[in-house]
Amino acid sequence: MKDSIQLTGNQIFSSYQVEKNLYDEVFDQTGKVKKYYQKVLSLFNKLTLQDLKKLNEFARASFFNQGVTFAVYSDNMKGVERIFPFDLFPRIIPLKEWENLEKGIIQRNRAINMFLYDIYHDRKVLKDKIVPSELIFSSNYYLKEMIGFTPPGKVYTHISGTDLIKHKDGEYYVLEDNLRCPSGVSYVLSNREAMKRTLSKVFSSYNIKPVHDYPEQLLSMIQSVAPEGVDNPTCVVLTPGMYNSAYYEHSFLAQSMGIQLVEGRDLYVDKNFVYMKTLHGSKRVDVIYRRVDDDFIDPLCFRPDSVLGVPGLMGCYREGNVTIINAPGTGAVDDKAVYTYIPEIIKYYLSEEPILKNVHTYRCELEDDLKYVMENMEELVVKPVDESGGYGIFMGHKSTAAQRKDFQDRIKNNPRKYIAQPIMSLSVHSTFIEESEFFEPRHIDLRSFCLMGKGKDFVLKGGLSRVALKKGSLIVNSSQGGGSKDTWVLEG
Amino acid sequence: MLSRIANSLLWMGRYLERAQHTARYVNVHYFSALDAPNLSKKEYVLDSISCMTGLSYEYDEEILNLEDQNLIYKITLDETNPVSIKSFINNARENARGARDILSSELWESINKFYHSANAYQGKTLTEEEILSFTEMVVHQCAIVNGYIDHSLLHNETWSLIQLGIHTEAAGQLTRMLIAKVRDIEKTEQLKLGKAMETYQCIAMLKSAEGFDMSRVHYKSVPNLKKALEFLILNKDFPRSIIFNLEAVNDCLQKISLVKGEEKGSVEFFAGKLQASYSYLTIEEIQDQILPFLEKTLDDLYKLGSLVDQKIS
Repeated sequence: MKDSIQLTGNQIFSSYQVEKNLYDEVFDQTGKVKKYYQKVLSLFNKLTLQDLKKLNEFARASFFNQGVTFAVYSDNMKGVERIFPFDLFPRIIPLKEWENLEKGIIQRNRAINMFLYDIYHDRKVLKDKIVPSELIFSSNYYLKEMIGFTPPGKVYTHISGTDLIKHKDGEYYVLEDNLRCPSGVSYVLSNREAMKRTLSKVFSSYNIKPVHDYPEQLLSMIQSVAPEGVDNPTCVVLTPGMYNSAYYEHSFLAQSMGIQLVEGRDLYVDKNFVYMKTLHGSKRVDVIYRRVDDDFIDPLCFRPDSVLGVPGLMGCYREGNVTIINAPGTGAVDDKAVYTYIPEIIKYYLSEEPILKNVHTYRCELEDDLKYVMENMEELVVKPVDESGGYGIFMGHKSTAAQRKDFQDRIKNNPRKYIAQPIMSLSVHSTFIEESEFFEPRHIDLRSFCLMGKGKDFVLKGGLSRVALKKGSLIVNSSQGGGSKDTWVLEG
Repeated sequence: MLSRIANSLLWMGRYLERAQHTARYVNVHYFSALDAPNLSKKEYVLDSISCMTGLSYEYDEEILNLEDQNLIYKITLDETNPVSIKSFINNARENARGARDILSSELWESINKFYHSANAYQGKTLTEEEILSFTEMVVHQCAIVNGYIDHSLLHNETWSLIQLGIHTEAAGQLTRMLIAKVRDIEKTEQLKLGKAMETYQCIAMLKSAEGFDMSRVHYKSVPNLKKALEFLILNKDFPRSIIFNLEAVNDCLQKISLVKGEEKGSVEFFAGKLQASYSYLTIEEIQDQILPFLEKTLDDLYKLGSLVDQKIS
C-alpha cells in the first residue's frame, strides 16, 4: 500500500497528496473531501489558476493598503513591513467539534485563574503537593508584588490565547496557554474581512458564526473589571509604540473599541492614581489593557531602565485605583513546565475531568524523564520553558548528531529550563502555495481567544488558524515564515 | 485628546502640505524651464528649486557640485535628505500611524497608499517622465488625503489640529516660494531679458500655488508682477494666499482653545495680531520693499509655528 493518495480533478489540486500518516482537515484517508468542505472545494475547482492568483493578489493588496502589516527588523532604517501571509482556503470547524473546544478552553482558563489566585494567596495547591513549590518560586515570572493582592473579580487572565493542534488521532491537544496578552486577534478580524471581499459567493452559501463582535465583548469585559465604585471607567490600551511589531493590532483594538491608545510617556502617577496628559489637562485612567510585558510596566518595581511603562503604576494597582489587564504575574503559569500540571490543576480546583488534552510532557528536572529524554532525543521536541515565538526549539527528527550532543549538554547544565514532548504531527490543511502554484497540504494549528471578566466568559468563535508555509515545517509562528487562514465555525 | 496625539496630528498636516508644495514647485519649474523664453538657463531653475526647498548652493559645497539629475534626486526621493519630498511623506505617514486609532480608516488608508505609491519609485536617478509622474502623483495623492481629512473626520479638535498644521505650513511654504521667485526675478532682471521673462516668472509663481487660472479670472487679464503678488499675499478668497491661511489658522486656534480671550504672548494673541496686520494691508505699501517684507513674514510664521508647538506639548 502506498503512503499517500493522489487527488484527481482540477489542475490546481493535481499535485495534492493525501498523506496516510497525517490528519488532513479537508480530505479523508481515501482522498474523499469531507462533507463540510464540499462547497468550498467545488468553488475552488471552478477557478482557474489565473483567477486564483488574481484573488490572492487582491487580498494581499487589501491588507497592504490597510496597513495590516508587522515590522521585520533589518538594517534598513525604516524596517521592512510585511503582510502576514493570508491563505484563501478557509479552515472549517463543525459546530459540535467547536462546542467541545469552547467548553474545554473555558474550563482550563477558569482553573488557571483559581490556580493563580491560590499561588498568590494561601498556596493550598503547593501545600497539597499537587504542583511542586520550587516550580513556581523558581519562575522568573512569579512576582512577589502580587502576593496577597486580589484583582477585581479575582480575574488574572482576562485575555488568553490557548494554542491547540489536532494530532493524527483526530483529537485536539493544547500546546500552550499564552496568558500574557497574546496577540493575533486583529488578524482574525481582518482575515474575515478579506475573505468576505474576495470569496463572497462561497461565504454566503455557509452559515458561519460571526467574529465581528470581539471588540465589543473585549470592551465590556474591560469595563467589568474597573476599580470598585467607578461608574463610567476610562479605559485605555497601552502600547510600547509604533515601532513594536504588533502596533497594528494595538491601534486596531483601540480604534474598534473606541478607546484611547496610549504610550507610557502619555501617562503619569499622582498620589496613587494614574492620569493621562491631554491637550486640556489631565484625565484619570481606570483600566489599562497593556500590551507591554510585566518587566516593563513600572520602572520603580521592575526593570529600572524601562521607558515603556509608568513609574508608580504598581502602587496604584495595589491600592485598587487602576486595573491592569492581564494581571501582572500570570507568566508564572504560562511556563512550559507548569503547563504539564494543568490537567492535575483542573481536577484539583474544579473536580472535573479535563476536556482538552495536554501533550505528554517530559520534565527534564525529573530524573526518570531526563533519562528518557537523553536516550530518545531523535523522537522528541525539546523546548526551553520560558521562550516564546518559536525560538530555541530543538526538533529531534531533523537534528544532526552534533546538534543532539549540543542540546544534551544544554539540558544537563540546566534541566529546569527544558521540557520535551513527543513530536506531535500537526494536522494538515490544503493551502495555496505561490511558488508551485498548486494547493498543497501544510501543517496548521489554532490560536483561540478567551475573555474572562467579572461574571462573564467569552470565547471568540473561530480563532486564528496559523499555517506553516514551508513544506514539512511544524513551526507556524509569523516570525518564522507562517501564514494564516480564516477560520469558520459553522452554525448548526 | 492626548498631547502626543495632538502633536502628531499637527505635524501630519504640516508634512503633507510640505510635500505638496515642494512637489508642485519642482513640477512647475522643471517643466516650464523647457520652453522658457531666451533659454531660461537650467541652472537658474535648479537654483530656484533648491532655494525653495531649503537646500542652498551658497552654503553647501556638496550641493554645488551635484549634477542636475542628482540634485533632483536629492530633492525628491533621497531619504537621507530630511527636506526631500520622500522624507516629508514618510514623516506624514509616521505621524498618522502614531494617531491612527483616532483617524478614520479611509483617511489612514489614503495616507498609507500615498506612502506605498511613493515607495514604488526606487531608482537613484529619475527620467524626465518620472519626475513628472512622481510630482504629479504627490500633488494628486495630497488632494485625495485632504479630501478624506475634510469629509471623513468629525470637524472637531482632531480635524482642527490637522488643519492648523496644514494652514501654518501653507502660509510658510507660500512665503518661501515667493521669496525664491522674487529672487529669481531680480537675478533675471540683471540679464536684461525683458518683459517676456517677467511674465514667464509670474506665471510660474502663480502656477506653483495653483493660482494661475483663478488669477486670470479675478483680474480678467494675465497678471503682472504686482497683481500676482497681490493675489498670492492678500486675496482673501484664494485658498492658498497668505491672508487666507492666516485667517484659517486663527479659526483653528479658536476651535482648539478652551480659554476664551487672548492673553498677551499667547499663540492666539500672536496669530490674531498677525492676521489683523495683513487684513488692512495694500500691495502698494509693500511692493517696493517686497523681499524684506516677505522675510519678515517668514520670521513671523516661524514664531507662530513655535508658539503652536509650545501650546500643544
